[in-house]
Amino acid sequence: MTAQPFPPPAAASAAETTTPTVRASGLSKRFGERDVVSDLSFSVAPGHAFGLLGPNGSGKTTTVRLLTGLLTPDRGEVTLFGEPVTRTGSDELRRRIGVQTDTNLYETLSARENLRTWGALYGIPRPELDDRIDAVLTVLGLQERAGSLVGEFSKGMRQKLSVGRAVMHEPDLLFLDEPTAGLDPEAAADLIDYLKRMIRSLHTTVIICTHQLHGLESLCDDIGIIRHGRLLTAGPVAGLLARRWPERRQQLTVGGDTARAREVVASVTGRPPTVDDAGRLGFAAGEDGVAAVVAALVRAGIPVHAVVPETPTIEQLYFATLEEGTGA
Amino acid sequence: MIDRRRVWAVVRKDWLEISRDKQVIAPLVVVPLMFAAFIPAVVLLLGRTGIPASSISGLQSFLDNLPGGIVPGGFSPEQTVVYAVVVYFMAPFFLLIPLMAASITASSSLVGEKERRTIEGLLYSPLSNRELVLAKVLGSVIPAVAITWIAFVVYALIVNTLGGPLLGGIFFPTWTWVVVVVALAPLVGFLATSLIVAVSARSTTMQGAQGTAMFVVFPVLAIIIGQSTGLMLFDAAVALATAAVLLVVDVVAFVLIVARFDRERIITRL
Repeated sequence: MTAQPFPPPAAASAAETTTPTVRASGLSKRFGERDVVSDLSFSVAPGHAFGLLGPNGSGKTTTVRLLTGLLTPDRGEVTLFGEPVTRTGSDELRRRIGVQTDTNLYETLSARENLRTWGALYGIPRPELDDRIDAVLTVLGLQERAGSLVGEFSKGMRQKLSVGRAVMHEPDLLFLDEPTAGLDPEAAADLIDYLKRMIRSLHTTVIICTHQLHGLESLCDDIGIIRHGRLLTAGPVAGLLARRWPERRQQLTVGGDTARAREVVASVTGRPPTVDDAGRLGFAAGEDGVAAVVAALVRAGIPVHAVVPETPTIEQLYFATLEEGTGA
Repeated sequence: MIDRRRVWAVVRKDWLEISRDKQVIAPLVVVPLMFAAFIPAVVLLLGRTGIPASSISGLQSFLDNLPGGIVPGGFSPEQTVVYAVVVYFMAPFFLLIPLMAASITASSSLVGEKERRTIEGLLYSPLSNRELVLAKVLGSVIPAVAITWIAFVVYALIVNTLGGPLLGGIFFPTWTWVVVVVALAPLVGFLATSLIVAVSARSTTMQGAQGTAMFVVFPVLAIIIGQSTGLMLFDAAVALATAAVLLVVDVVAFVLIVARFDRERIITRL
């Protein structure tokens, strides 16, 4: 297991085969009378993408600040790359980290000047800097606006540039805070693709904080769902989905009498199927079960238009977990 | 250890921002011009008429209390007025230039970063507290000193051009001015900027940060008043002694400010 509540007895051995890039253990932080983060534990293996998902005010940003050493936890500890994060000793650790937030850019500087500043801060050698800036701007589709002031950029362009700023020094660990907010669907998909390629080629570990859940399945290996500063569940996406929905779900579209079709399906599966707003029936069954259901429907004279396996999504898991309010 | 490239990256970024902000640039040009060009030109052109002494506040008192022997012998009353004003009266005013410049640029620097929340990006970067404070101080001190030095060159050109014929040739600068411009101006600017950066780390408004510069303005004003009332003449010895004290104060202030720079406090109060 690569991203999980810490320490999970069953999966710990897999994580221990290599030092996790991030290991948070019992992290707690209180501001005044409010527990912003409470007993947070998880780890992220090198080269994995971990989605920290939660509604606004759930403690995602505070968690990132704790993980990067910007805030000192009241309890618990953090290690990055196997080294403990301390208030005074994490300056050099931060060199291996990239952080994207929506407030990192200087509006009176051009895109190139912004990237030049951050490139120098992160120690990109001078001879490489211009090439690296050009490469990042090209990938993000901003090359033609390299000399434009950031103050003239649209929200989407700023968002792209702030991601470019965070990744241009090719960090070993990348924190992304709502990276696709403000992007149109095409740009969001392009950005996700870019991140996937980066993770693959550079073996970058990514922690992505978001409540925009569409498309995360293809990016995140692991997720954690946080609310009121508490981690409700965490682990590999496939494992969490399988645990939440152990049976394979099917979606059935029939012609004619839906009520009669429900009775037929129930007679085969032993449970009445669900019906969604479009009149499609949902039921749990493997391949043999599907064949039996279709045969029964045909025998009953009910036309079968389509049977589509239902793949549960992170979005469904997110809402189900928040609704339940406990671990999946 | 200080990584000079990281410090320079922030300094350069600050300069770019300053250079594109007309509200910052305007006072940085106008005020030094007043001290470097307008006032000396008025004094030198109208020196013989007695008008400057009656129109510049404190000048008549300064002339009345001028100690003997500081003006070269054989000068006429008109020459004495011009020499005393150009060489002695204006010297402490040139300390106000780095103060003013530093207070404008420094207060817009760190507090400005907090107001725009861009400080968060710097705090996530590999910059150490020492590097960040040093970068913010140098980003303001260097332009402040550069402006002071440019003003000094302009001042020297004007007073020698306009005053030379009256005083019998090139008479400026004197050693007092060399100490004021080369040593005191940078030290005063550094102290003012350091204090502003210290307060900026805790203040949320630019006004609060700018108010801090008054702590440095007051001693300079004391020198000006002391000079104009004849209590103390701001000569090379006084300037050197002041520079020595300031050097110690600057180092202590910087060390204390770095030690008290609290990232958590900044990030949680944005």
